[in-house]
Amino acid sequence: MKLRVKYSGQLRTATRCGEEDVGWSPDRTLAELIAHLAERHAAGRPHLLSDSGAIRPSLLIAINDAAVMANEANATRLRDGDVVWLLPPIAGG
Amino acid sequence: MEDTGQRSELDAAERNRYEWQLWVPDFGEAGQRRLKEATVLVSRIGGVGGTAALQLAAAGIGKLILAHGGELRLNDLNRQLLMTTDWIGKPRVESARRRLRELNPHVEIETIEANIDEGNAADLIGRADLVVSAAPLFAERLAMNRAAVQLGKPLVDCAMYDLEGRLTTVLPGRTPCLACLYPEPPPHWKREFPVFSAVSSTVGSLAAMEAIKVLAGFGEPLASRLLVFDLRNPCFETLPLRRRPDCPVCGPISRPAP
Ligand SMILES: [Zn+2]
Repeated sequence: MKLRVKYSGQLRTATRCGEEDVGWSPDRTLAELIAHLAERHAAGRPHLLSDSGAIRPSLLIAINDAAVMANEANATRLRDGDVVWLLPPIAGG
Repeated sequence: MEDTGQRSELDAAERNRYEWQLWVPDFGEAGQRRLKEATVLVSRIGGVGGTAALQLAAAGIGKLILAHGGELRLNDLNRQLLMTTDWIGKPRVESARRRLRELNPHVEIETIEANIDEGNAADLIGRADLVVSAAPLFAERLAMNRAAVQLGKPLVDCAMYDLEGRLTTVLPGRTPCLACLYPEPPPHWKREFPVFSAVSSTVGSLAAMEAIKVLAGFGEPLASRLLVFDLRNPCFETLPLRRRPDCPVCGPISRPAP
């Protein structure tokens, strides 16, 4: 199955792409996806994960435009065609 | 924000000045009087907050409190539209006051030559009906959020980075607050960020429209929604937001919808 992953803010800069397709399997969770993306884009890792490997609590996550809290990622599975949007906080003023 | 008669009556010059916005459906003279009665605190008057203040002054807000420390630098001028080149080295808030008064002398302007922190937030927010939060640091934004939620004041949080902008309106007790979104300041955010004025001004203008709607009581604010736009490949989307039941700022506070 395939997911669409969108990156915003500094994550977009770090990954050098606004969005990309990612091959995935239905038995793997959102938390595993975020860990996978942190490996795939080393420069994006600090915006996704803390030093201990936990998902940053201030990372905004949406699946098909519905908000998902970081602490729900372990229990969240993904389906073919899901759009996962990752938005680290921004504060430019 | 109540209509208290005399002070909020519009004179002939004001009716003429605001004539074209008095034609906006659901706004009208009652809405204009509510704006005239209102005080808005703008935290930082840079690329985002400066344009928000400009739009609010044009719209006829009764009073603006502008908080921004420091002196103007040459490299502020690509985006801080209330500043002028001859003002380099002088306090930013003074340039802002001068520019806003040139635009609309009906607006009362109070300037605070300091940024918002835990020490001054409650006092400044306590004197305002609504807050526009546009500081480039999360600590300032979270201090504003905490005081606004405690005092029950609506807060428009508007932010940008690169060609992207984000905006939400916090209605204390009814919507998620900024600490629900961002329970901890992200360690990799930097005070200096890539910016075109065309982007920061867009965010500031959207924030001003949120403030105008909330104060005048028409339209639908961005309540429990985050507007996200990206002008690189132009797209505007809204993302529903959720309250954190364990939010240390707004968790204990609940107000029924009016
Ligand atoms: Zn909250």
